[in-house]
Amino acid sequence: MTPPMDDAEAPVVLAAHGVSKSFGANTVLTDMELTVRKGETVCLLGPSGSGKSTFLRCLNWLEEPDAGFIVLKGQRIGIRPSGNIVMNDRELAAIRTRIGMVFQHFALWPHLTVLENVMEAPIHVQRRDKAEVRREAEALLQRVGIADKAGQYPARLSGGQKQRVGIARALAMKPDLLLFDEPTSALDPELVGEVLAVMKDLAREGMTMVVVTHEMAFARDVASRVVFLDQGRIVESGAPEEFFTRPKTDRARQFLLRYSAQ
Amino acid sequence: MNGFTIVWDNRDVLLSGFANTIALSAIAAVVSLVLGALLAMALMARSKAARIGATVYVDAMRCVPFLLLAYLIYYGLPSFGIRMSNWTSGLIALIVYNVAYMAELLRAAWANLPKESIEAGHAFGFHGLKLVRRIILPPVFFAAVPMIGNQTIQIIKDSAFLTIIAVAELTQAAMAIQTTYFVPFASFVAAIALYWITCMAIETGVAFVGRVAKARQ
Amino acid sequence: MTWYDVYAIFQGAVFTVSISLASIVIGLPLGLGFALIRWSSVPVLDRFVVVYVSVIRASPAVTLALLIFFALPVVGISLGAVTAAVVTLTLSTAAFNTEIWRGALMSFPREQLESARAFGMTRGLRFRRIVFPQLVHSALPALVNEMTLQVKSSPAIAVLGLVDITRAASRVGARTYDPLPPFVVALVLYSLIVAVFVMTQRLIERRRAAEMEALR
Ligand SMILES: Nc1ncnc2c1ncn2[C@@H]1O[C@H](COP(=O)(O)OP(=O)(O)OP(=O)(O)O)[C@@H](O)[C@H]1O
Ligand SMILES: [Mg+2]
Repeated sequence: MTPPMDDAEAPVVLAAHGVSKSFGANTVLTDMELTVRKGETVCLLGPSGSGKSTFLRCLNWLEEPDAGFIVLKGQRIGIRPSGNIVMNDRELAAIRTRIGMVFQHFALWPHLTVLENVMEAPIHVQRRDKAEVRREAEALLQRVGIADKAGQYPARLSGGQKQRVGIARALAMKPDLLLFDEPTSALDPELVGEVLAVMKDLAREGMTMVVVTHEMAFARDVASRVVFLDQGRIVESGAPEEFFTRPKTDRARQFLLRYSAQ
Repeated sequence: MNGFTIVWDNRDVLLSGFANTIALSAIAAVVSLVLGALLAMALMARSKAARIGATVYVDAMRCVPFLLLAYLIYYGLPSFGIRMSNWTSGLIALIVYNVAYMAELLRAAWANLPKESIEAGHAFGFHGLKLVRRIILPPVFFAAVPMIGNQTIQIIKDSAFLTIIAVAELTQAAMAIQTTYFVPFASFVAAIALYWITCMAIETGVAFVGRVAKARQ
Repeated sequence: MTWYDVYAIFQGAVFTVSISLASIVIGLPLGLGFALIRWSSVPVLDRFVVVYVSVIRASPAVTLALLIFFALPVVGISLGAVTAAVVTLTLSTAAFNTEIWRGALMSFPREQLESARAFGMTRGLRFRRIVFPQLVHSALPALVNEMTLQVKSSPAIAVLGLVDITRAASRVGARTYDPLPPFVVALVLYSLIVAVFVMTQRLIERRRAAEMEALR
C-alpha cells in the first residue's frame, strides 16, 4: 500500500523507534514503531490492556520507556542529545509543552475556572503575555463551543463540556501535535458526538493528532492512518479503508467483528 | 449569682487574655499551616532522605505531649543563649507542635487527590515547585478545609496549656480573676464560653469556606 | 540530677498515665451511652448530649480541670484533686467518644438490625450479639486515636497541683536549679509511653488495610 503523496512529503513531527516497556514481569510494549507526519491523524486501536495508553504516555515521557527512543521534530525526548543521560524534570517539562494531551477523565484542574484552566500553562509555563493568552483562550473556548461557561468551575460542567475544555486547554499551548487517550470513553453516549465533532474539525484543519479510541466510525472517517495494537505489538498499520474492509490478520478481524457486533 | 457581676467588672482582664489567646492561635495556625505545607512537600518528596526526615519529625510530634514540649522550649531556649518572653516561647511551642499535624493532614489530602490532574500538570510542562504550588496545593487546601478547621480548634485548646508557663492568655486571665475575687465558677464558665464561641465561629467559617471549596473540587 | 530523680519523674509519668487510663476506661462506655441517646433520639436528653459534646469539644482540658476543681465546691460538691482530674479527663474523652460511637452507629446497616429482629431476638440481645461487636470493629481505629490524644493531653492535670509527670519534673528542676534536664527526661519518658499507643494504632490501621485488600 502506498500512502498518499502529500503525507509522504509532509515533515515528520513525531517518531517512536523500538519502544519497549514492562511493569515488573509484565511486558506491556515490545519494539513499537510509529511515525507521525504533519497534519496526520493517527488512530491507535486495540483491545483493552493491549498497551495503547502506555504507548501514548511514553510518547511524552509520562512513562519512561525501557528501550527505544522518541524523536519530536528531530529532537530526542527523555534522553539528552549527548548520550544516554536521562533529561531532568525541567528539560522534560520544556519538551512536554510542545505536545498537547487530552485525557480520558478530562483531568481539568478543579480549583480553576474554565478560562483559567485554558490560560494556566501558557501563562505560567510558557510565560506568554497574559492579555494575549486571554484573547486566544477566549477564542479557543468559542471554537469548541463553550464560551458561555468561561467563568464556571469544572465541577459544574457535563462530561462533554469538560472534554471540550480539555481540548481547548491543550490547543492553547500551540503544540506540535495532540495526544488523545480515549477522549470519549468516559462520556454518556449522547455527549460523545459533540467531542468527536470538535476533533473532526481539528483533523480537517490540519492538526497533527494521535488518537487512542474505541470509536470505530471516527477512526474510519477521520483517520489518515490506523495502527492496530495487540499485546503490546503493532499487528497492523495502514489506511483506514484498507484496515476496516480488508484486515490482514486474524486478530484484527476478530477485533473488528466484536465491534461490529455491538 | 454576683460572681458574674465581678467577672463583668473585670471584663478587660478577661478580654485581654482572650485577645492573647486569639493572637497566639491565629499566628500559630497560619504559620504552622504554611510550614506544614512545606513539610508535607517533604513527606511526599521523591528523595528518600527528605521523606524519612519529615516522617521522623511528624512521628515524634505525634508522641510528644504539648505541655512538656512547651516546658522544654521555655527552659531550653535560654540555655542556647536565646532569651525570649513566655509569650514568644509559647508561640514557638504551638508552631513546632502543630506544624507536624498540619503537614500530616495536608499529606493525607494530597495522597487522595485524583492522580490524573497532577499528571495533566506534568503533561502541560509544570514541574518542581511550580507544579506543587499551582496545581497540587490549591486543591489540597480546599479538600483539607474541615481538617484545618479542626486543627485550628486544637491549637486554641493547646494554647490554654500555656497558662502553666504563665502566658497571659484566656485561662490565665480567668485564674487571675478567680484568685483575686474567689469567683471560680463565674470566671471559668466565662472563659469556657469564650472558647466555645470561638470554636463555633471557626466551624461556621469552615462551613462557609467548605461551600466555596466544594465548587472547586 | 540523680537516678533517684529520674525514678521520681518516672513515678509521675505512671501517675499521669494511670489517671488517664482510668478516664479512658470510664469514658468508653459513657460515650457509647451518650451516643445511643442521640442515635435513638431520646427526647430532651439528646439535646443535652448535643450541647455537652459541643461545649467539651471546645474546652481546653486545663480550663475544664480548673472549673471542676475550683467551681464544684461552690455548688456544694467538693472533689479531691485526683477525683477532679479523673472527672475532667473522663468528661473530655467521653465527648469525643460520643461522636465516634455515633458515627459508627449511623453507618451501621439497618437491614442487619431488621434481620436480627426477624429471628426473634430481643432488643438487648440484638444489641449485644449483632450490633455491638461490629460497632467496636468499625469504631476501633478512631477510638484508639482518641485514646492517644487523651494520654497526650492528660499532663493538663498538673494545674490541680497533683504530683504528676509535669510537677515531678518541676520539683527536680527547682531543687537542682537546672530545669532543663528533668524536662528532657520527662518528655522522653512520656513520649515513649505515648508511642506505645501510636504503634498500636498503626498496627490496627495496617490490619484494617490488609482486611480491605483481602475483601477486594
Ligand atoms: N503503572 C502501571 N503499573 C503496572 N502495570 C501497568 C501500569 N500501567 C499499565 N499497566 C499494565 O499495562 C497493560 C497495558 O495497559 P494500558 O493501560 O496501556 O492498556 P490500554 O490498551 O490502554 O487498555 P484500555 O483500552 O483498557 O485503556 C495492562 O496489563 C496494565 O495492567
Ligand atoms: Mg487506556
